[in-house]
Amino acid sequence: MNLQNLSIRGKLMLITMLTSSAALVLSSASFLIYDLISFRHLLTQDLMTQAQIIGYNSAAAMAFRDEAAATATLSALTAKEDIVAAVLYSPDGKIFAHYFPNGGAHPSALPDRSQTNGYRFEGGYLEVFNDVTLNGERVGTLFLQSDQRQWSVRARRYSIIVGVFVLVAGFFAFFISSQLQRLISRPILHLENAMRMVSANKNYEVRATRFYGDEIGRLIDGFNTMLSEIQHRDTALQRANEELKKGTLELEGEITHRKRTQEELLKAKHAAEDASRAKSAFLANMSHELRTPLNAIIGYSEMLEEETRDSGNAENLHDLRKIQSAGKHLLSLINDVLDLSKIEAGKMGLHLETFDVSVMVEEMVTTLQPAVAKNSNSVRVRMAEDVGMMRADATKVRQILFNLMSNACKFTERGTISLDVSQSVSEGHEWIRFRVKDTGIGISAKQQQNLFQEFSQADATISRKYGGTGLGLAISYRFVQMMKGRISVESQAGQGSTFTVYLPAQVTLDTAESTQSEGTSGVSAGGAEHKPELDTVLVIDDDPAVRDLMSRFLNKIGFRVVAAAGGEEGLRRAREVRPLVITLDVVMPECDGWSVLRKLKADPQLAQIPVIMVTVVDNEAMGFDLGASNYLIKPVDRDRLAVLIEKHRVARSSSPPSKPSRASATKEQLLQAELEASGRSS
Amino acid sequence: MMPKILLIEDNEMNRDMLSRRLQRRGYRVVTAQDGEQGHILALSEAPDLILMDISLPAMDGWELTRRLKANDTTRHIPIIVLTAHALVTDRAKAFEAGCDDYDTKPIEFERLSEKIESLLAEKKPS
Repeated sequence: MNLQNLSIRGKLMLITMLTSSAALVLSSASFLIYDLISFRHLLTQDLMTQAQIIGYNSAAAMAFRDEAAATATLSALTAKEDIVAAVLYSPDGKIFAHYFPNGGAHPSALPDRSQTNGYRFEGGYLEVFNDVTLNGERVGTLFLQSDQRQWSVRARRYSIIVGVFVLVAGFFAFFISSQLQRLISRPILHLENAMRMVSANKNYEVRATRFYGDEIGRLIDGFNTMLSEIQHRDTALQRANEELKKGTLELEGEITHRKRTQEELLKAKHAAEDASRAKSAFLANMSHELRTPLNAIIGYSEMLEEETRDSGNAENLHDLRKIQSAGKHLLSLINDVLDLSKIEAGKMGLHLETFDVSVMVEEMVTTLQPAVAKNSNSVRVRMAEDVGMMRADATKVRQILFNLMSNACKFTERGTISLDVSQSVSEGHEWIRFRVKDTGIGISAKQQQNLFQEFSQADATISRKYGGTGLGLAISYRFVQMMKGRISVESQAGQGSTFTVYLPAQVTLDTAESTQSEGTSGVSAGGAEHKPELDTVLVIDDDPAVRDLMSRFLNKIGFRVVAAAGGEEGLRRAREVRPLVITLDVVMPECDGWSVLRKLKADPQLAQIPVIMVTVVDNEAMGFDLGASNYLIKPVDRDRLAVLIEKHRVARSSSPPSKPSRASATKEQLLQAELEASGRSS
Repeated sequence: MMPKILLIEDNEMNRDMLSRRLQRRGYRVVTAQDGEQGHILALSEAPDLILMDISLPAMDGWELTRRLKANDTTRHIPIIVLTAHALVTDRAKAFEAGCDDYDTKPIEFERLSEKIESLLAEKKPS
């Protein structure tokens, strides 16, 4: 067993035992040695005294050579058990008398008589020589040999006593040390035990007991302080841990909750989308189904009206007109619903064309007349002189204005509805501004919030009193958005309303990769002075055979033909010759027909030129969306092509090519259309 | 002699009304109830113009237009299709099929008769 790994109790006891045993053995041994040496000395003295006495007693016998007397004298040594040999030598060295208690003496083993007086230890025996003298004369020598029996007996006995003493003392030492070592080992063992408990159970509430005020006591104090510090930290850590766990748990709950909510939301979104699609489809279907009988109602009533008028029977005319007007009203409602469902289904596209704003406004106002008359209102139209042509979806612009104007008529009685049209430039774009102002019931701030949303009339009572689907503004709003314009309202309840619509003077399509700079630099009137060559057709096609065929055919029917083999060349030629019509192929190597079409429509100088797509690609929707006027699939029906081009020629010659000149107009010319209420329904 | 118009329309009321109104304008009117009948009448009656609904029984308007435009004897007859769907794709489809003009229901009679007159006028010189 390794001494160093011995338990502290064992170490302490071992140290005590070793120390005390060493001291005991050392002291006992020194005592024993001292005693034995002094005892031997005593024995030697005693033997020498014996030798002197015997020498004295045997001197006479030696002097008189009385051997028997000498032997008798030696025999007195019988009492001395330890004497193993006694010899008397005559002066000449011969043995004179001898005594051997055991009878086994060997004269040869006897030493020479020539030895001098004294003692010696020889072979475990003590030997003494003593001269025998008589009256100062040496008569012989005595030799005594002792086996020192008493000494060895004493040495053995003493050894036993010392051994027993050491054993008993050792036992006592063991007992005492085993009791006293606890003074040191107990607190240490206790401390160790406490530490083990702490580390085994992680229980930092355990405290070691302090027994004494010594270093171990202080050590225990230190240990306890450390422990309480750990306990404190452990508690704090545990609390933090618990809080963290709680937080984590809450967070997990939150995450689960959110996930579920998200799923639900997604589900709800899909459901809502499905429902919305279903609704749009339903509305589209319903509108279609409603239109068919309505078609008959309006048609028959119109027919009856004509017949009635012809026959001079004015009696029923009034009622027939009421039927007609109700039918048309119903139709407009259905159209609204259909429009909205088309917008929602994403099927509403823009048909861009260039038109004269004032003409469009005049037409619209004429159509509006019955609504104006109904509430005895008057209409003022104010047209700034710089407003000329605009490129947009004319039908939709017209519908926006019609909606705003007829709303204004509906909510105004004996008032004035004014429409201001002007042109402005902001953010580098030209805008046409339409402002519709009435003096009617107005719209409160709260009502304005949902004004442009579907099915939200400002007030539920309004639909009862004024009728309508509440879709007009929503549709107008969507149309304005489609054309990238803005619509806003300013109003107070009872103070009338003002709706303002800004539309770009040149509306572009979303797909346009057309460079904006091209559009802005040209301005609408850019190419107005150039008189287009009415009789030229530009053919853009990469196939030489097609170019050749088209040229020959078009020449034959009376057109000049300019041909281009690619997109870039085509665009260049278009700027040079300003053709009446362009025919355009889609599949071309370096610049395809779609991008050529976009660039043509993005260039204000070229945008008005009708483009007829002539291609194998079956994608009319794309063509019309990008602004193509017609779409022909190859192989081309020549008659159809001829008719289309002829139509464009007629259209071109009958309408002004671009912004109409109003040279005669004064600076602030006002186009005023005062339509006084006639008091009768038309 | 006034131009002859072939009206192909499956809805009885619409057919009756339109034919009467056209007749009032002085046109001669021949009517058909479905695509097939319309096809036969287009060949036998040699009308000056055809006015047809796009959703017809037996043979729809698209198909009938294609057939008429593929036939040399009927190719020159202008066709106006009437549809209840005012969608962009319908307009494109109408021209693709070879129709000469297009109008939406419910019919605005004045607008329609303008279209008829302009197509008949276009046709005359050739």
